[in-house]
Amino acid sequence: MALVTVKNLSYTYPDPNGRGGVLPVGETSRSDSGGGVSAEECSSRIVSDKDGVRSDNRHRALSDIDLSIERGEFITLMGATGSGKSTLLRLFKPELRQNGELQGTIEYNGTDIDAMAPRESARMVGYVAQDPEEQIVTDKVWHELAFTLENLGTRQQDIARRVAEIASYFGIDRWMERDTATLSGGEKQLLNLAAVMIADPELLLLDEPTAQLDPIAAARFIETVYRLNRETGVTVLLCEHRCEELFPISDRIVILDGGRLVYDDTPRDVARMIGNDSRFTAFLPTAARLFHLVTRSAQTNYAIPQSPFGDSLLAGSGSPSVAARRLPNGEHLYQREPEMPLSVREGQRFVGSLRIKEVPSEHADAPLTEEALTLKNIRFRYERRGADILRDLDLTVYRGEVFALLGANGAGKSTAAAVAAGLRKPYSGTVKLFGRPLKDYQNGSLYKGNLSLLPQDAESVFLCETVGKELKGCDAVMQQLPFDLSPLYVRHPYDISGGERQLVALCKSLAAKPRFLIMDEPSKGLDANRKALLLKVIRQLKQDGVTVLLITHDVEFAALCADRCALFAQGRIAAIDRTNRFMTDNRFYTTAASRVTRRFCDGAYTVALAAKRFSSDGGAV
Amino acid sequence: MRFEQLNPFTVAVYYLCVLGIIMFSMNPLLLCIALLTSILSAVIGGTADKRAHIFSLAVFLIAALLNPIFVHKGATPLFFLNDNPITLEATAYGLCAASMLTTALYRLRDLSKVMTSDRVLYLFGRFSPQIALLLSMAIRYTALLRVRWRKIRDSQRALGLFDDGNLIDAVRGRARVLSILITWTLENGIVTAESMESRGYGTGRRTSFAVYRVHKYDVLVILICVLLTALTAVGIYHSRAAFYPALSMNLLTPWGITGAAAFTVLSVLPLIINGREAIRWRLLLSKT
Repeated sequence: MALVTVKNLSYTYPDPNGRGGVLPVGETSRSDSGGGVSAEECSSRIVSDKDGVRSDNRHRALSDIDLSIERGEFITLMGATGSGKSTLLRLFKPELRQNGELQGTIEYNGTDIDAMAPRESARMVGYVAQDPEEQIVTDKVWHELAFTLENLGTRQQDIARRVAEIASYFGIDRWMERDTATLSGGEKQLLNLAAVMIADPELLLLDEPTAQLDPIAAARFIETVYRLNRETGVTVLLCEHRCEELFPISDRIVILDGGRLVYDDTPRDVARMIGNDSRFTAFLPTAARLFHLVTRSAQTNYAIPQSPFGDSLLAGSGSPSVAARRLPNGEHLYQREPEMPLSVREGQRFVGSLRIKEVPSEHADAPLTEEALTLKNIRFRYERRGADILRDLDLTVYRGEVFALLGANGAGKSTAAAVAAGLRKPYSGTVKLFGRPLKDYQNGSLYKGNLSLLPQDAESVFLCETVGKELKGCDAVMQQLPFDLSPLYVRHPYDISGGERQLVALCKSLAAKPRFLIMDEPSKGLDANRKALLLKVIRQLKQDGVTVLLITHDVEFAALCADRCALFAQGRIAAIDRTNRFMTDNRFYTTAASRVTRRFCDGAYTVALAAKRFSSDGGAV
Repeated sequence: MRFEQLNPFTVAVYYLCVLGIIMFSMNPLLLCIALLTSILSAVIGGTADKRAHIFSLAVFLIAALLNPIFVHKGATPLFFLNDNPITLEATAYGLCAASMLTTALYRLRDLSKVMTSDRVLYLFGRFSPQIALLLSMAIRYTALLRVRWRKIRDSQRALGLFDDGNLIDAVRGRARVLSILITWTLENGIVTAESMESRGYGTGRRTSFAVYRVHKYDVLVILICVLLTALTAVGIYHSRAAFYPALSMNLLTPWGITGAAAFTVLSVLPLIINGREAIRWRLLLSKT
């Protein structure tokens, strides 16, 4: 018997505009996902072009969902921001349910999930949300671990045993005595997972748990979840934008769109199907995307795959793009195809079977001459007796370029940005902006028309009660940007989604028309659509002559927009180069596309570039 | 077992005894012992650095000087300052008060090193798991708010909105930061609340977990503390220490001497416990 059976489920939120205390809880949360569903739908989405399914001011978050989850399965739930992922996830935890209206049934272990006592739900169903910081309740690591069991009234000896067990399983026994405030984001999220797992739940719900983490910490987190799934048999339902690591390890991929379930199949079959569905290609891992691009350009038959269960799966999905491309003879041609590659390793095998096309080498980039920002021999530390965070940092950013400073969290990237922005004073070394030392910019003239910093936490910017008031004086800037925020003017900055908040903050930081913009982790927690929009903004800024310094751990994002990249480690620059050379020369810290292709050819560091270099003529099949 | 490793309750009883005697007796002999032993403990235990010692010295001097300057009671003038008598009695009293204050400073510094937040929590958790949780959350929030305050100030400054060039701007800037801080924290508090709820908070009786146990040794230490404190109290009762109108001391009665001895032992009890531990460790090493 399935652990969870969802039948014919619909879920409707009350009118989110009439804020008479009826706004669902999640709507105000920081999450960029389902939490922001109705906020987004009702403000005529700024990214997506179509409206949600609405009637009489009420917002329908989920429609006609059928889903069954077997014991021990690892299911990844995907979907754009506002597709209803989080809403669905929260329905499995009755105490987190918002005051919407539910139709249909959710059965847990054969009984209605609403019949479950809160205590039982706390024990059986674990839930980890996106924000690592805010989920932590207590001040010490060991206390946080014990918290769930304390709530369940467990006896001292039993708590002691479980805490010891879980700490050694998660490898957090070394920091048991530490204050939770001193942990890094990755450690915090691991603690949140451990604190939930300590109750030994049957079902683990994870709502974009890695969105706020750097790639290394994210990979470690997902690996831990996978290990738990294999070794303890806990059922995992995880929703996420990050697909690269999840496609190879999931048992099933479920995709939601506009509150409807549109795909539900094994990762390989989903990867096969959504390759031709432009709405979802962004979810594909690099290897699969490359596969689709190469095979499609070769115009072979198997560009139009089809699942044997296609019809029933897509029933009611309203997915014309898939239906229209179905082969008229209905043959299951996919059986003759090479296997759909999901991981980097499989991608390499696939690429190895292809013919490499010679392409003319790229035209040389314009030489960089005029210096915009110069850091020289910078040394910095936070505490008098602490260790140096920046050790002899040298960095030059040239006028008009987009420069990406990459590196793991905690390497000192953000500190470097703060020093460059004049927010922290180095104890030795000089910082020059446009040829002048920072201290020559008197009376705040530095931040008026010269330099601006977009902070990592958009929340730290907002002061007013509506977005409109917040953006007063930004009209000139907003007209140049490729998106329209005016529908959000009446809303409170905390009631819009995380991605929208980021955009509002961006407008504010551009208000003073800076010639130099520093962006600290702008792509953090954004889905594929938002990232594409952000890319557009950065390209436009570049066109307008703004120099952009990007602080990021998102290699894939940097590969798409930076002119030059630098790898930051141990308080200084370890490598610096033009993006194509940087991505090609790096072995581990580089894009997935580069890792797939680098043994075969140079410079194919994005999927688009790689697709140009390979063809399947005479190769595969 | 080292003193810091004792059960928080034992540690609390010890400091209650020591601080109680210091606070409620104006006995010059005891205060002198208290001052010397507290400095000794701080030096050996390494709980105070050079700056802390200098600070304590400054406190001692100021406290010792203030009393004779402002209080002119007493029968024995030493000299006159601006036509005001500086009396022997007020000077003696000032020295005693200064000793008391300095000793308390040293002891409280020790206490804050030994009594970490989770030990305080454990103490309160005995009374009520709710209070324990509340305190734990409060401690977490203070750390969180400090980090957040800095983040907001930085981003406001980088937007050209935070300026502390003059007083009015500085106040205005800080008010703005505070306003953002409150909104941010309150709005996101909902995530914490959900995290608590999804982990079963408020579903019934809760227990309070702690990593400390009560050993026989703790009981022994508590008994010793109580006994020594009682002896000291009897000693105080049987000796006389009056400052005004004229000094009238009778400290070296048999009971007075016993009390002072008991207090000395009490004051250095942590040192004795740790010394015993060190010797045992040495012996253990020499055997192997």
